[in-house]
Amino acid sequence: MLNKTASLDTYNRNRLLIKFLSYFVLTAGAALMVMPFLWSVATSFKNAKDVFTTSPFQIAFPPDFSAYNEMLERVDFVRYATNTFIVAGLITLGQLFTCSLSGYAFAKIRFPGRDAIFLIFLSTLMVPAAVTLIPNFIIMRSFQLLDTLTALVLPFLGSAYGTFLMRQYYLTFPDELTDAAKLDGCNPFTFYLRILLPNSKPILATLGLLTFQAFWNDFQWPLIVINSESNRTLQVGLSYLRNEHYINWPLLMAASVLTTLPIIVLFLLAQKQLVQSVKLSGIK
Amino acid sequence: METNTSVKAVNQPSATRQVKARANKKVPVNWRDAFWGYILIAPAFIFIIGFTFIPVIGAFGISLTKWDLLSQAEFIGFDNYQRIFSDNVATKTLLNTFYYTFVSVPLGIIISLLLASLLNQKIRGLAIFRTFYYLPVISSTVAVSMIFRWVLDSQYGMLNGGLAIFGISPIPWLTDPAWAMPAVILVTVWRSLGFNMLVLLAALQDVPKELHEAAAMDGATAFHKFFYVSIPLITPAIFFVTMTSLINSFQSFDLVYNMTQGGPARATSLIGYYLWEQAFKYLNMGYGAAIAFVLFFFILVITFVQWVLRRKWVFGEE
Repeated sequence: MLNKTASLDTYNRNRLLIKFLSYFVLTAGAALMVMPFLWSVATSFKNAKDVFTTSPFQIAFPPDFSAYNEMLERVDFVRYATNTFIVAGLITLGQLFTCSLSGYAFAKIRFPGRDAIFLIFLSTLMVPAAVTLIPNFIIMRSFQLLDTLTALVLPFLGSAYGTFLMRQYYLTFPDELTDAAKLDGCNPFTFYLRILLPNSKPILATLGLLTFQAFWNDFQWPLIVINSESNRTLQVGLSYLRNEHYINWPLLMAASVLTTLPIIVLFLLAQKQLVQSVKLSGIK
Repeated sequence: METNTSVKAVNQPSATRQVKARANKKVPVNWRDAFWGYILIAPAFIFIIGFTFIPVIGAFGISLTKWDLLSQAEFIGFDNYQRIFSDNVATKTLLNTFYYTFVSVPLGIIISLLLASLLNQKIRGLAIFRTFYYLPVISSTVAVSMIFRWVLDSQYGMLNGGLAIFGISPIPWLTDPAWAMPAVILVTVWRSLGFNMLVLLAALQDVPKELHEAAAMDGATAFHKFFYVSIPLITPAIFFVTMTSLINSFQSFDLVYNMTQGGPARATSLIGYYLWEQAFKYLNMGYGAAIAFVLFFFILVITFVQWVLRRKWVFGEE
């Protein structure tokens, strides 16, 4: 009897210890995730002289905006942001359109060669972006599209991954729905517009967010294709700030903060879709 | 019993689909439907074929030439591939890439598995933890590189400042060839945790509770339950995370370009970076394309190996 209560006590004590350790590790990890961001924000509110002398996380009150002002004077940040928004936005809209159409066709319409073509789509998922970099650069060059925003959008308007995601989603739609629509005289395109699209909002939101975030952050392709300052995207513009002999840390951090902020706000607003997208990609 | 039914539930639709597909072959083609099928896939098809499929073939063609874009391309056969083996920088780059990949990938997965299993208990504030761990994932690599150049600054950086509390003297993270790669690996792992953790957590949450209860009845400890019940059931997720991490790290460009420019003394030159350097800094298109194909070859090998292993190890697949 005495033994039993004692072992129950140790059992409870162990559980408590595990709980405590779990919270400790998770909190420490979360702190390590956030601290670099907090530090960059704190640095961005200092001026170039104080940055080495004041304590790291200390922010003067009222905050010193000189780094932000200097950055906005030195580079056309608004222009970069507009370019990035246009490019990421057009790619997102384009992919939502092409992928929902092809996903629907692969899921619900029968045509000769369908499975073979789908396999070709899937096989391109294995191709690393590094392999298509050089030929696509040469394609853009021969179309005389180098140094244009068009060159940033065009190669990414179709997506095998997006097609796959949409197909998986449409496979769950009952065939009776398609058949009934056919009887009502709907052709596949009107069916797509009137019935399928309005019923795909969650998956479209997920794919849209994923695509927008990916191309907001895209760096290598814009770096290669864009030459003139007026066509730079945020990531390329931010990267060029590094190419200076003397590094102005507050300015660099201010630019990093402003470049990252829109995506973080978007993520906080649409967390559910992003979490969902991770689960979907995990199924793959 | 529970798994039996769930495996059946998963297998059944695919079985019926196969039967259906076989039956479909006898149904004559409805050309009206087929026409719409081709029309609807056309936009995606054109872009995928035009900017991925054909370029792969094109890249192989380019890899057989010497071409600086300014003059005519000159066919030189497999010389570019041979050159890789005699090029000291290329061999160093390959070794660097292996070092980078085979340290950062396992490290990232082990830590995220630990975090995921901690989060898989009854934990308050799950959403908050998830948000914090996911912030590095959604931020751009360029911004992350800039932030970490500052964090890793040997004199004023936050990391050395933190280590000083424990009496560790400043580490020359980005200026010493021996420390630069560990620094790049550190940032890579830091960035990958959120995504890997979320995928693994989703898989852990799908492990039926009954299995753990049954194992507990048989006297299994938490340790046993984790290694003999949870891990085998989430192997598909572990494979997925391993694959994505491997492919990402083989291609890595943004991080080294912005943090180290492959330096110091080539210590962080990775395949993705060297390829860019050859093709777009020195305009050696042919050599760059050959390096890209070596990269592609590695990815194909990894894909094949994981496909074979998957058949052997992964639960629920025969």
